[in-house]
Amino acid sequence: MILWVRRGAAVWSGIFLMALLFSSGIQWGGMAGGILNLAWTMAEKFPSSLRRFLLPSALVINTIFSAYGVLSGGPVTWAVLAAGGSLLSWNAGLFSQRWPEASRPVQSRYLKRIGMVVALGLGAGLSALAFQGNLSLPFPLALWAMLVAGVLFLCLISQALPKATRKFP
Amino acid sequence: MTGAWSFVASLGLILVISGLALKNAALLAMALPYLFFTLLPLWRNLPRPDWRIQRELEPDHLKGGQPCEIKVRLTNMGQELEEVHITDMFPAGVRIEGHPEYHGEFKTGQMETLQYTVRGVRGNYEFPGVSVSMGDLLGLSRNEEFLHCSETLFVLPAVEKLEKIKISPRRTRVFTGTIRSRESGAGVEFFGTRAYVPGDPLRHLNWKAGARWDLLITNLFEQERVADVGIILDARSIVELKTDKDSLFEHSVRAAASLVQYFLEEGNRVGLLVYGNYIQWTFPAYGKQQRAKIMAALAGAELGEHAVFKEFRYLPTRLFPPESQVILISPLRGKDVYPLRYLRALGYRVLIVSPDPIAFEKPLLPHDQFQELAERIARMERNATLAKLRRSGVQVVDWDVTGPLWLALKRAGAGMRR
Repeated sequence: MILWVRRGAAVWSGIFLMALLFSSGIQWGGMAGGILNLAWTMAEKFPSSLRRFLLPSALVINTIFSAYGVLSGGPVTWAVLAAGGSLLSWNAGLFSQRWPEASRPVQSRYLKRIGMVVALGLGAGLSALAFQGNLSLPFPLALWAMLVAGVLFLCLISQALPKATRKFP
Repeated sequence: MTGAWSFVASLGLILVISGLALKNAALLAMALPYLFFTLLPLWRNLPRPDWRIQRELEPDHLKGGQPCEIKVRLTNMGQELEEVHITDMFPAGVRIEGHPEYHGEFKTGQMETLQYTVRGVRGNYEFPGVSVSMGDLLGLSRNEEFLHCSETLFVLPAVEKLEKIKISPRRTRVFTGTIRSRESGAGVEFFGTRAYVPGDPLRHLNWKAGARWDLLITNLFEQERVADVGIILDARSIVELKTDKDSLFEHSVRAAASLVQYFLEEGNRVGLLVYGNYIQWTFPAYGKQQRAKIMAALAGAELGEHAVFKEFRYLPTRLFPPESQVILISPLRGKDVYPLRYLRALGYRVLIVSPDPIAFEKPLLPHDQFQELAERIARMERNATLAKLRRSGVQVVDWDVTGPLWLALKRAGAGMRR
């Protein structure tokens, strides 16, 4: 299950990265980003030494490409979505490397946890951009507000989640 | 925090710094998912476990090559742990069969058993405890803990069954045993004769002597008692010879173990001195407990290079009861003759079991005329050393370690003086 989530997230980040870079007019970057994410999708086929190197380097390169695309005038939303996908794929790759024989309940719990963090991160990023536009707030203030709100929300969920998933005899 | 956390935190911070430096809000927005990853472990503390740990070694004393089953039972009486990696730390030198580790979640009250088998060569192996690494599912925070749960595994030296060994120390102990005591009394060996006195058993009358002297003469028999036996194991590295698979010292240890077993089974009081790095002394005593003590000491016996113990000059003779039997197991050097003569002069009965270093080394050397000549010279030197010792009243058993010890003792037994 985790494997397919990881691959899906890599494809997701690859698509948004290519779209971002092509729309910014960086054709070579789009091609390179696409190839890199394609390789990342197939990371399990590579030898373990190469895979260990590929996981963090793909996240770094995706981040750099996203930032470069944004600085070149590309849509920020796509950059945030690409970054979120990259983070999800990287962390899921780490988990499956560390614990390949994890049981289904553990995998589900992991997916809930990572899903919560990625959703909050993406939501906060996108909302910060939207708030800035709609409320005409200075961006640092919008960012600070979103960060605080997100952390409080995270706290709320992390306290509620164990109660919700507890199994009664 | 883990390396993964530092990695994401660095990326997030780089984006924030770049956004602030370039006054670009988009870069700051991009940093938000990274910052949430970074903040999560800071917000959520790792749960605190309360471990109960128990280790079982079955058996904890074994012979070389035999398997020992190890069970480590871990119970978590604290909070539930999402991901735990438990590894039992094992000493170097043992061969592991099975998996001494556990990876998974650990709920409150859950008990897990790490079960595996170890085999090893002679030695003392200490299992110090268990390493526990606890983390969250995202791999962003991790705590390491070491749980002490120490047990020692004794891999004992091999023991050879020995036939009767004749020793005759000047002084024996009061209990009945198998060693001739030089005193008349109840026994089976003829000791002498004396004039009959009323009360002597009639079946002990010596009729032939009586007819010659025209007196009633009665036979006397030698009492057999237990004795004090001190065994000295030479652990000086200067006399050691070693190959990839074999070691002369290991043969010496095997000989010591066999002699300990034999003399304790015969009811004697046995002590052990390992002479090498320091004076490792096991006080003389009787019985099975003493056997276990000495075997444990022999299991841990190691070669030493201490300058003080390079020669037998500082042999602590006072450790052995006066006029008792001392058995030295050593390949011997020429310089060892004088201190051993001194030991003999003090009144101790000395028996030397000497593993033959020349016979041990011979198969490892090239077979040519120089090697033959060298062997002859070395053999002459060794024979001269042994002859000097024999002339001093020391019993010497020259043992070719390719053969069994009992055979060497039996062959030497015929030539041993009383």
